[in-house]
Amino acid sequence: MKSNVEIEFVTQVEKHQNLIHKICRLYSNGDAEHKDLFQEITIQLWKAYPKFRGDSKFSTWMYRVGINTAISLYRKSKRKILSYSFDDVSYKIPQTQTYDDTQDQQLKSIYAALEQFNDIDKAVIFLYLEDKSYKDISEIIGITEVNARVKMNRIKKKLKTQLNP
Amino acid sequence: MDELEILKKDWQKNQKFPKLSKKEIYRLLHKKSSSVVKWIFILSIIEFCFWTFISLLVKDSEVQKRLDGYDIDHVIMPLIISGYIILAYFFVAFYKNYKKISSMDSVKLLMKNILNTRKTVKHYVLFNLIFLYISIIIGIIIEVSNNVDLKLITAKFTETADYFILYGIVAILTLLMMVLLTGILLGFYYLVYGLLLKRLKKNYKVLQELEQ
Repeated sequence: MKSNVEIEFVTQVEKHQNLIHKICRLYSNGDAEHKDLFQEITIQLWKAYPKFRGDSKFSTWMYRVGINTAISLYRKSKRKILSYSFDDVSYKIPQTQTYDDTQDQQLKSIYAALEQFNDIDKAVIFLYLEDKSYKDISEIIGITEVNARVKMNRIKKKLKTQLNP
Repeated sequence: MDELEILKKDWQKNQKFPKLSKKEIYRLLHKKSSSVVKWIFILSIIEFCFWTFISLLVKDSEVQKRLDGYDIDHVIMPLIISGYIILAYFFVAFYKNYKKISSMDSVKLLMKNILNTRKTVKHYVLFNLIFLYISIIIGIIIEVSNNVDLKLITAKFTETADYFILYGIVAILTLLMMVLLTGILLGFYYLVYGLLLKRLKKNYKVLQELEQ
């Protein structure tokens, strides 16, 4: 029997599921790991849901639980991941496609460069890409706003040197 | 154009992900979590049980029965009572720390709280190890001064003036046993928790360095 709370929760997750997918994309290698992390984030969201009572937006709350799960709670399973890389599926451009090739190449190398960053940097990058303010970033990570800015500047610099050696 | 701005544009527009239906999401809710915290909790409970079991085992052993005959309650009772009080203290502290863990906290606070539960159990293990060593030393002293057979042997050695050799052998054997036990335990903890918490510790260090 599905309770009202469950229906309400599932509806919200279905609506905002791309947010979880994006976190999984940054923190996992390959499709199997992506699915695994997606599952763990959903479980953790569900576990924390009784404490969520609309004092913030559902999506804002999801950022916190999602990032925390990816960084601190999720335990990568030991089983060997045999599936293809997620990148290969979504971003493979067929040989015949010629338009905007430089832009695509550049994006590919930027996504590849992201892999070099540590878990904390990835969280800052993710929130930045999601258009979050430095105030939000600092609150979610648990550092001061000044340090969040410093971190972001260092990330930008590192990314630049990595892409243009 | 800035690399990150190019990325941002793509990030917000061109994300193609498989879309999960409500039914699939519903199914996920009832799957088992494999979170680090869950593992730490299970392992900690096992540790508490293990060390409590060990102390009960010592209590019921032959050695204990022989010790009972020595009329040394004034030494043993305080040890046992303080052992239980300290166990209760550690258990409450561990449970309190565990309850504090919330995925809704900031990344840094969550990490700190997880590491704190682990620290409590680590202290409990350390306390038990020290307690065990003290017990061994007290036990040996009591045995040497009360055991009739040992007294005879000691007397024999004293006659031949090899008294120090006997004590030397006992001391070295005890020390070896302690070193071996410590080695096994540390190895075990390194394997279990080292692997479990490696990533968390690394990330926590990154945040701490940033705040300095």
